[in-house]
Amino acid sequence: MGNESSKLILETVDLKMTYRVGKVDEQALRGVSISVSPGEYVAIVGPSGCGKSTLLHIVGGLLTPTSGLVTVDGAELTSMSDAERTEIRRRKIGFVFQRFNLFPTLTAEGNLKLAERIYQKERNGGADPERRRRILGLLKLENKMHHKPLELSGGEQQRVALARAVVNRPAILLADEPTGNLDSESSAIVLEMLRSLNQEFGQTIVMITHNPEAAASADRIIEMRDGHVVASRVNARKAAP
Amino acid sequence: MDSLIAANIRQRPVRTAISMIGVALGVILIVLTVGLARGLMRDFAERQQNIDAEIKFLPGGSISLSANPLSLPVQFADAIMNGVQQSADDPEVVPKPPIEGIEAISPVGEWVHGGAGGLGFEIIDGIDFPSFTKVASVDIVKGRGLKAGEPYEAIVDGYYAERNKVDVGSEINVLEHKFTVVGIYEPAVMSRVKIPLPTMQDLMGGANDCSHLMIKLKKGANIDRVKAELERYYPGHHVILTKDLPALYSHSIVAVEVFLNAVIGLAVVISTLVILLAMYTTIMERTREIGILKSLGASKRFIVASIEKEAILISALGVALGFIAAVAARYAIVSSTKLVIDLRPEWLLISGLIGIVAGALGALYPAISAAKLDAVEALSYE
Repeated sequence: MGNESSKLILETVDLKMTYRVGKVDEQALRGVSISVSPGEYVAIVGPSGCGKSTLLHIVGGLLTPTSGLVTVDGAELTSMSDAERTEIRRRKIGFVFQRFNLFPTLTAEGNLKLAERIYQKERNGGADPERRRRILGLLKLENKMHHKPLELSGGEQQRVALARAVVNRPAILLADEPTGNLDSESSAIVLEMLRSLNQEFGQTIVMITHNPEAAASADRIIEMRDGHVVASRVNARKAAP
Repeated sequence: MDSLIAANIRQRPVRTAISMIGVALGVILIVLTVGLARGLMRDFAERQQNIDAEIKFLPGGSISLSANPLSLPVQFADAIMNGVQQSADDPEVVPKPPIEGIEAISPVGEWVHGGAGGLGFEIIDGIDFPSFTKVASVDIVKGRGLKAGEPYEAIVDGYYAERNKVDVGSEINVLEHKFTVVGIYEPAVMSRVKIPLPTMQDLMGGANDCSHLMIKLKKGANIDRVKAELERYYPGHHVILTKDLPALYSHSIVAVEVFLNAVIGLAVVISTLVILLAMYTTIMERTREIGILKSLGASKRFIVASIEKEAILISALGVALGFIAAVAARYAIVSSTKLVIDLRPEWLLISGLIGIVAGALGALYPAISAAKLDAVEALSYE
């Protein structure tokens, strides 16, 4: 496990999470162990309430699990302070949400620059203009950079959110229902973009989705139910020659 | 982040405007109150110092530097100059020698009344013109001095004449009576309007009394000896050297300082509360955005700093607005009243700093609250 673990970009071991709702404890995760290799594109599927979002938030350092281990690119999150987890999130994780979560007062460019500035606060380095140019080209956003989110379609907004999430070269991109608010045409474009990011930049992606078409775009599909991982299988369509 | 701050300020113009006005009010309050207090004190002290007399002799009791009622018999002037001897009319009197070294003594009455338009106040001097000219080097630059037997005449200084558009022959209201301005004098000495002392005594019911005596010494006279003799022979009276008047004003300013500190405190509270409420409301509105910042890896310090920067920028804009409004208000007040308002750069700077610090202080609680928000809850905030 030791050598194997060192090659993993993400690993959770026996992850449990209990929420207190009123006087009742609700177990959202009941011992989840998953592992993701660098460059992998993984979809996590399952019915509502199965613990997918909780798992994503814990992996992204936004929540602390009740027990278990989470390792992101060699950094063990569960033993870290809130400030240390924030730093890991800044350096190693990019988020994409169902509701895009762009700053409505900023242009697309402003949203990207904000992410770069937050990243540079720690890194003391300048932005990577070449990577930015390539990402914008890949996501076909060159002509949309001076638009505010409300001036963009849902698909365009999600592409800006994608660009923002990967502009700082994160180890993992965590996508929470990235096509949940999009029509089928826009969904297809966003899924194509995710696939391109994975293939052209080697971007590791962990995506939560209800959408079978979205799940079908991943290399591997992890299925969850009632806080457990019930199956993990290589995407047959992808694996096929 | 700077562009996010600018965007937030532009996005919420009403919130920004109200916050700016709140900070500006604090700045205006400080600048005008301090300027008014300092201006009046300075102006009055300068005019008190312009007198040639070296000694001010006042009745016992508390000293009011702004004005004293008519409670000192004018006969003290004669007693000090010529001494007091027993006589058949007054065999009980304690003899006193003449105080050596005195060249002239002039009795002065002081009366305070409300300023024009009910703002501020004005002090009127009642003088015995012939003796007053011996203790104060005033030149009548236009018209003439006060003449005996003409009770409703007044002389005013050049500043008063210019500010009130008063000239020789004009009528002014003093003690609810019309007085004709017969002369304009320079430089400004003590109060700006002077009427005959007998008229003041008649109108105020203080027959043969004055507020204080102004005593001018002969050249070469020992001022300390004269002061000591006055205190020795006239115990229970206040003998003040006019050169000490600024220091005495400084002591009386202590009370003014307390008042000014209270005003500054009030301004800080106003600015702090306005910014606190504005920023707290903003943070509530922006809960989801705080969640986004956290998901991007923004540290607590980064979030606090960004909110503080926004508050400081709004406060700085409020300070600038306050400066402009204070300068305009000063111009309007000085133009329409007799008030003197000192507008000094150091007080503008201090009031500006107070406005900005109060703004930063007011934003601190909302900023820390925002930084402590749970990221997941913030992201799901509707």
